[in-house]
Amino acid sequence: MARLFRQQATERERRDELLSAYLDGQMSAEERARLETQLATDRPLRAELEALRHIVALVRDLPPVPIPRNFILPQTMAAHPRPVPPPRHRRAWAAPLLTAATAFASLLFVVVLAGDLLLLGGGGLFAPAAEPQMEAPRVAVEPSLVGETVEVEKVVSEEVEAEEVAQPGVMPTATPLPMPTAATAEAERYNMGTPEGIDATVPALGSGGEPIEEDTAPASPVAEAGAVAPTAPATTTATMEKYAGDAEPTASAVAEVMPPPEEEAGAVEDGRGIPEDETSGLAPVTLWRVLEVTLGLTVLVLALVTVWAWHARRR
Amino acid sequence: MDEASLIAAAQKGRMDAFNELVLAYQHQVYNLAYRILGDPASAADATQEAFISVFHSIARFRGGSFKSYLMRTVTNGCYDELRRRKRRPTTSFEDFGERDEDANPALVNGHEGPEEYTERQEMARVIQAGIETLPPDQRVTLVLSDVQGLSYQEIAEATDVSLGTVKSRLARARGKLRDYLRSQGELLPARYRLEYVGSEE
Repeated sequence: MARLFRQQATERERRDELLSAYLDGQMSAEERARLETQLATDRPLRAELEALRHIVALVRDLPPVPIPRNFILPQTMAAHPRPVPPPRHRRAWAAPLLTAATAFASLLFVVVLAGDLLLLGGGGLFAPAAEPQMEAPRVAVEPSLVGETVEVEKVVSEEVEAEEVAQPGVMPTATPLPMPTAATAEAERYNMGTPEGIDATVPALGSGGEPIEEDTAPASPVAEAGAVAPTAPATTTATMEKYAGDAEPTASAVAEVMPPPEEEAGAVEDGRGIPEDETSGLAPVTLWRVLEVTLGLTVLVLALVTVWAWHARRR
Repeated sequence: MDEASLIAAAQKGRMDAFNELVLAYQHQVYNLAYRILGDPASAADATQEAFISVFHSIARFRGGSFKSYLMRTVTNGCYDELRRRKRRPTTSFEDFGERDEDANPALVNGHEGPEEYTERQEMARVIQAGIETLPPDQRVTLVLSDVQGLSYQEIAEATDVSLGTVKSRLARARGKLRDYLRSQGELLPARYRLEYVGSEE
């Protein structure tokens, strides 16, 4: 049914086009002759021709509208025969350019985000707390241990000796402390993962320091200074053990390279102590984040400016 | 001074020569704008802007029909206005009352009485309303052809389309206007009705 109506409308349009062209004399002689032959026998077609002729006559007879005023231009305008084009034309290039810039910035943003997810395992914007938890203690512990290791060992060995005197039953061994199994496993994992040079230093602490860390007795203030938390018992977290284990070898291995305790503050201020750790831990994450946030903001600003530019162009 | 001399003088920056051209064409330009836009204020704005635009660009005019050039400029201005209206439809102040632009006592034919004059004005209003129902392309083509009397070639130049497109747009515009007037039926004065023509179909 709809097809029939469409067909009728198309035929009607074709007929109107023929008749309209005929009225304006815009037909070839051949077309004209053919149409006139048809008009001679087709009354409805003739009626339509008359209707169109009537319409054209009515429109042509429309009275001219009087002008409300003269439109002559002021003489002063002659001083500027070729002024700059209107602002709309001057800004015409801005919208497409901004659109391209927004698309490029968005693409870059996506690439950076993808890189973050793939290279850092989402440690960037999406998991902001993960990296600092892993990195911060190392940075805090190592410098403090570096300088104090020798003293800690001395003090710890003195204390152990004192305890041995008081409790002759307790055997100083290099075996790990009694602690929760999970923590023990973790500590073992860390010990297994350490290099030989580091393992060699562990007994030094184990033989001297571990007896102190019995759950019955809080760690001594001196030992705790090396383990970051001064008031916490040594057995409360396996993490502390882990960092003690990690820190010790680092301290002994780097002892010659690192400045002595009295120079530590100055070294840190000079950027010789911490930066090495920062560049390997915090800095990449921070850079990724700064890049992501900057790109995100850029995309946002560009998108807003682009919308405004298209809007201004249409005005 | 003939038109070519006026154009040449205007191209050198002579405003008096350009204003001669303005005086020669302002009626046509304003009427074209009025028939396309259907609103005196918008038509006056479009007319003024067209003359300003032509003056600024007349140095680039390289012969041809100045009338077509002028008509194209004002037509483009009217297109812009129609697009603007489509985006931000507003109610013109004139829409609150009857437009009396077509009622021009000075144009009363000496042979027609007051009743015939009123009928003619009424018919003009209906036709204008019918023109305003047409899509912009068809409206512009119809006005350029049947109101302004431009040839197909001039319309093609003024609207930047082919002759075939002009032909097609004009036929559709006339057909739609015919249908519109038929739909008005009894509202039209008896001598302007189309029923007697189409009743044979």
